[in-house]
Amino acid sequence: MINENKILFNTGSLDELSEEIGKLTSNTESRLKLTPNNADSGLAKLVLTLIELIRKLVEKQAMRRVDGGSLTEEEIERLGETLMKLEMKMEELKKHFNLTDRDLNINLGPLGDLM
Amino acid sequence: MEKLIYAIVSVNSDPEKLNELLSGMKGIAGSDIYAVPIHEITAVVSDMKRADLITDKSHAIEYASVIEILTKQFTLIPMRFGSFLKSTGAITKMLETNYYEFQQTLQKVEGKFEFGLKVFCDPEILKTELRSKSEVLVQTAANPDPEIKNSVYREYINRKLKEHRLEELMLTYVDKVISDITGTLVRLDAINKFNRMGTPTNIIDAYFLLKKEKKEELIQMFGDMQNQYPALNLILTGPWPPYNFVDITIN
Repeated sequence: MINENKILFNTGSLDELSEEIGKLTSNTESRLKLTPNNADSGLAKLVLTLIELIRKLVEKQAMRRVDGGSLTEEEIERLGETLMKLEMKMEELKKHFNLTDRDLNINLGPLGDLM
Repeated sequence: MEKLIYAIVSVNSDPEKLNELLSGMKGIAGSDIYAVPIHEITAVVSDMKRADLITDKSHAIEYASVIEILTKQFTLIPMRFGSFLKSTGAITKMLETNYYEFQQTLQKVEGKFEFGLKVFCDPEILKTELRSKSEVLVQTAANPDPEIKNSVYREYINRKLKEHRLEELMLTYVDKVISDITGTLVRLDAINKFNRMGTPTNIIDAYFLLKKEKKEELIQMFGDMQNQYPALNLILTGPWPPYNFVDITIN
């Protein structure tokens, strides 16, 4: 058995570590579970996850451009309208399929969460 | 019966020592452990049906315990949990085919152990610290249309821009911590691996490969670093077998 104390240094409580380990062991919740009985909702989760990832990437790139100061006032205005409508549409879809942000944030194991 | 492989061990100095160690050891579910050698490397295995291996805490601990005991006396490459081959002959063939890669990796990890570092923070406290720096709104044109300036879309963009800047500041902060760690680790001659922002609270997950005798120096180093970053909680663990420093695609 492993009986050596493996924690060499820690000034805080171990609660955070326990919590993180707990998340790892409960990662099955954030996996896609496609079965014949839930093909619709499983597929919706998969598709919405990809859409949400792309939407966030688009948003991030847009913010980089706004931050870079290369857009005109009108362009920023139009961008705001587009991004806002995209977010609202996404909220509608999540509600329709009874999904939360957490459902769409797939855990990638050692790489952490998708978003 | 199939063969469950625990590790590839370097036995160039004393092959008998390994056999003596294995004779009293038990593997998963009390199975006997034995060696399948070829030249200076040996696969440590036990007979087991694939269906009997369950991915649970009990089997994981038994698996890790075997590797842990071996790593105290031998240089080894831990195998992924659940690595099966059909026969002793298949193991010998696998060792022969991948002999060069195994030897190279064994040389890399020889006499070294893995240490892990997890850095936690309260994201809200850290964000509050960083937030003041991200309050500058979007630079506006010289004479923006007042209707546009106060529009709901513009407000939305401003809010998103603040969030974006805060994220960028967080990443810059994490990079600075990583840079401080790598800078200090240079003197320990360590090989490092970093994952950042795995979760909002676990901002850094790092692994270091270094000689075991440098353990005390490593603890001291992270003690100093903890004082430098009181808002963070640093947890250092080890020594571990080199789980994160073996990257071989087995043929």
